[in-house]
Amino acid sequence: MRRYLPLIVATLAFLLFLSVHGTFQDRTGGEVRNALHVAALTDPLTMNPVFLRDAASEEVSTLLHASLIVTNPSTLDPEPRLFANWQQDNLTYIFTLHEDAVWSDGRPITSEDIAFTMRVVCHPDYTGLLYLPLSYIEGAEEYKKLHSSKFADRNISGIRAIDKKTLQVTLKESYAPFLSMLSFAPLPAHVLAHVEVGQMETHMYSRELPVSSGPYVLAEWKRAEYVHAKANPAYFLGKPNIDNIYYRIIPNAEVQLIELLAGKLDLIPTAVKVEDIAELQKNPEIKIYTNPRLVYDYIAINTNQEKTPLRDLQVRQALSMILDREEVVENILLGYADPLYGPLLPIHFAYDYLLETEREDEADARRRLVSAGYSSLEFDMIINAGNPVRENVAVLLQEKAAKAGIAINLHFLDWEAFLAALRDGDYDLAILGRGAEADPDLSYHWHSESRGNIYGYKNGEVDELLAKANSISDKAARAEIYRRVQQMIVNEIPVIWLYARKAVHAASSDLLNFLPHPSSVFYNVHEWDLDDGG
Amino acid sequence: MYILRRFLQTSFVLFGVSVVTFLMLHVAPGHPLQSNPEMRLDPTAVERWLQLRQLDRPLFGRYISWLSRLFRGDFGVSLLYNRPVTELMAERLPSTLLLTVTAFVISLLLAVIIGTYAARYQDSACDRVVNIMSIAGNSLPGFWLGILLVIVFSYKNQLFPAAGMRTPGDGSPADIARHMFLPLSVMVFANFSYYVRYVRGAVLAVLKQDFVRAAKSRGLNDRQLLFRHVLPNAAIPVVTIAALSLPMLFTGAMTAEYVFAWPGIGRFIVSSLLARDYPVVMTVNLYTACLVALANLLADLLYLLIDPRLRVKR
Repeated sequence: MRRYLPLIVATLAFLLFLSVHGTFQDRTGGEVRNALHVAALTDPLTMNPVFLRDAASEEVSTLLHASLIVTNPSTLDPEPRLFANWQQDNLTYIFTLHEDAVWSDGRPITSEDIAFTMRVVCHPDYTGLLYLPLSYIEGAEEYKKLHSSKFADRNISGIRAIDKKTLQVTLKESYAPFLSMLSFAPLPAHVLAHVEVGQMETHMYSRELPVSSGPYVLAEWKRAEYVHAKANPAYFLGKPNIDNIYYRIIPNAEVQLIELLAGKLDLIPTAVKVEDIAELQKNPEIKIYTNPRLVYDYIAINTNQEKTPLRDLQVRQALSMILDREEVVENILLGYADPLYGPLLPIHFAYDYLLETEREDEADARRRLVSAGYSSLEFDMIINAGNPVRENVAVLLQEKAAKAGIAINLHFLDWEAFLAALRDGDYDLAILGRGAEADPDLSYHWHSESRGNIYGYKNGEVDELLAKANSISDKAARAEIYRRVQQMIVNEIPVIWLYARKAVHAASSDLLNFLPHPSSVFYNVHEWDLDDGG
Repeated sequence: MYILRRFLQTSFVLFGVSVVTFLMLHVAPGHPLQSNPEMRLDPTAVERWLQLRQLDRPLFGRYISWLSRLFRGDFGVSLLYNRPVTELMAERLPSTLLLTVTAFVISLLLAVIIGTYAARYQDSACDRVVNIMSIAGNSLPGFWLGILLVIVFSYKNQLFPAAGMRTPGDGSPADIARHMFLPLSVMVFANFSYYVRYVRGAVLAVLKQDFVRAAKSRGLNDRQLLFRHVLPNAAIPVVTIAALSLPMLFTGAMTAEYVFAWPGIGRFIVSSLLARDYPVVMTVNLYTACLVALANLLADLLYLLIDPRLRVKR
C-alpha cells in the first residue's frame, strides 16, 4: 500500500499542475485581442434563416445572414439592407438589390435568390414561421395550395425577377405592414434549389452553412460549447472591424456574470437580471445598455367558462384597477420596463400616450364589484414557475386584490403543465408574454378571424378598422385609426396589460459602437469595434 | 449458459422499457412545436411539419415503425435539432466520458484508500473527518457547491475558468484540464463521499470476522492481512456500487454540466425531455436501460471473478 502512495500523490500533483498551468494567461495578454466573446443561455438549433423558431438561433442568424430590410432601431421604419432601395406603385413594389451584395462564396446575390426564398416560404412543405406576410403576394396562396413539385420551382405570379438586381413583387391587396415584414434573410438558390423543401430544414445547409450573406461567416460550431463566427471580407457593407466572434453557450446566468467580471466574456445580451444592474454599473470595466424590446407581459382573462363573473365588464374593470403598473415597473422591474395600458408599445408610431384606461383605484374597484352584484370573488391564477418577475407580480396582485374583496389563488406551474392548463382553459387568470411586430398592425391578435386571436376577442368595428388601416399607407392616417382601435379594445378589457420589459445588455467597456435594436442584438455588428486601449 | 439466460432476460426487459416509454409519451403528449401562446406558430405549417415527421399517425403504427427502424440501426432524427439522434449523442459523449470517467476513477481510488484507512483506524481523527466529509458530500447540493467553487476560484481568485470545456480557439490538453478542474472537484467530492461510506463499512465488517482474527493470530502483518484477506472480502459490496454507477458515467452529470457549461450529454438529455423531442427521449431511455442492464451483468460477472465460491454454486 505504502509503496504505491508516492505514485498516486505524483499523479494527483501532475493533474493539479496541468490544471493550474497557464492559468494566468489572461485573454487580453499575448493573444490577439480581436475577438469578441458573447454569452448565450442555450445552443442554437439551426443556422437556416427561414426555419428560426428559438431565440438563440435568431440571434446567431443576424450575425451570419443579411436581411432584405432592417427596421430603424428607434422608429421601426423599414430601412435598406440587402434591398438598397424600393419604389411602390399601388400594389407593386420594385426592389433593387445592393449592387455589391455577394454570397460568401463570391457569387452575386441576385433577385432570383430572393424569389427562390419567397417560393420556399410559400411552398406547401414549408414549416417555418414566415408565410403569413408573404401570403399577401399575388399568387402566393395558389402556390401554397396547388404547387405539386417537391421543389421550390416554377413561379409565383406576383414575384418577377426583372433583371439580376431588380425584383418586382405585386400584392393581391394592399397590406401596409408588408415592407417591415421583409426583415428575413434569403437562401442561396445555387446551393438549395435542388433540395426538396420538405428536406430543407434537416439539410446540411442548416448546420454547416457553407454559404451565407451576413457580416460574419460560420467558422466552427462546437455543439453546446460555442459558435465561432469569422468576419466576412466580402460583406457588402464592408468587412466588420472585429475579426472573430465567439458565441459561447453558458446555461447558467450567474456563471455568465462571473465570466464577464473575470474578463472572459465581453457581452451578455438582452437578459441581464435587473437586480444585478446596480452592482454592474459601479464597475468601470462594464457598461450597461438598455433598449425597448418588442415583447410585453399581460394577464390573460378566461371568459370561456360559462357563468364566470369574468364575463362581466365591471368585474374586469375592477381587476384592471388593482395593479398600479408604474409601481410594478418601479418595484419589481426596478424601472427597466415601460408600464403598459394597451396593445401597442411606446416604440410603435401609432402608440397612444393619451389612451384612457382604468388606473389603480382600490375603492373604485370595490365599488364596481359591488355594483356588478358581488360582495366577494375568487379566481385561480396560473403562472409559469421559474419566472421571478411574473411570480412577484402575481403575489403583488394577490395581496392588493384581497383588499378589494377578490381572493386570488396562485398556482405556480412548470412550463408544460402551464401550457396544458392554458390549452384546457383550466384557469381564470394567467400571466403571459407576447411578441409584437415592428408594424403596429393589431390584426394578428385582435381581428376576430385571425388565428392569433386566441382569447376569442370579437368586435366587428375593430375588424373593419383594422382592415382599413392595412389598406392605406399614410402613416398619420393609420395612426389615427389605431388610436381608435386601441381605445375600443382597451375599453373592453380583454386582457390586462402589464409592462414591456427592456432589454438590458452588459458589455465590456472596450466594446464600441454597440447599438442594440428592439429585436436584434447584432443589428449593426459590422460597425462594432474593440478599443485596444492604444 | 448463465450468460445466455441473462442476455435473454435483458432483451425482454429492454423491450418492456421501450413499450412503457412509448405509452408514457402517450400519457404526456406534446412535441417541440405544440401550441404556445407566446409564439406566432402557423397552425397549417405545424400540421405539415407533423405530417413530414410522421407524428400525425396513430400511436401503435408509430411504435411499430420506430421498432422496425431500430432493428435497421436507425434511431430516428431529433425533432429539435433535425439531425440523427445517434449523431447528436455521439458528439456529446466524449466530453461527458472525459469528465465522468476521470471523476469516477479518482473518487473510487481515493475512497478505497481513505475508506480502508478510516476503517482500520476506526474512531480515530481521520475516521471522524471521513465521516463528516461523507455526510457533507451526500447532503450538500452539487449546484450550491459548484457556484461556491466558481465564486472562490474563478471570481475572487481567477485561478480556474468557470465555464466551458476549453478556451474558444485553444483546446490544448492543458487548457481542457484547467477547465475540468472545477466540475471535476464537485463530482469527485460527491462521488467520493458516496463510495467512501461503502468502502469503510465493508472493510469494517470484514475486520470483525473471525477469520481475520485467526489470520492475525497466525502472525500475519498488517499489509498481508489487508491485501490477502480483508480487501478481497470487502470487494463485493464495493464492486456492486461501482458497477451500478457505471451507467451514470454515460448519461452525464447534469448539475456539473449546467453550472460549468460543460458540453456533455446530461444537459442534452434533460433539454430534450423537456422539449418532448420524442425520438431522442425514446433513444435515451433505451440507451439508459441498456447501460443499466449491462452494468448489472458486469457486476454479476465481476462477482464470479472475485469470489470463487460463487463459481462453484452455479
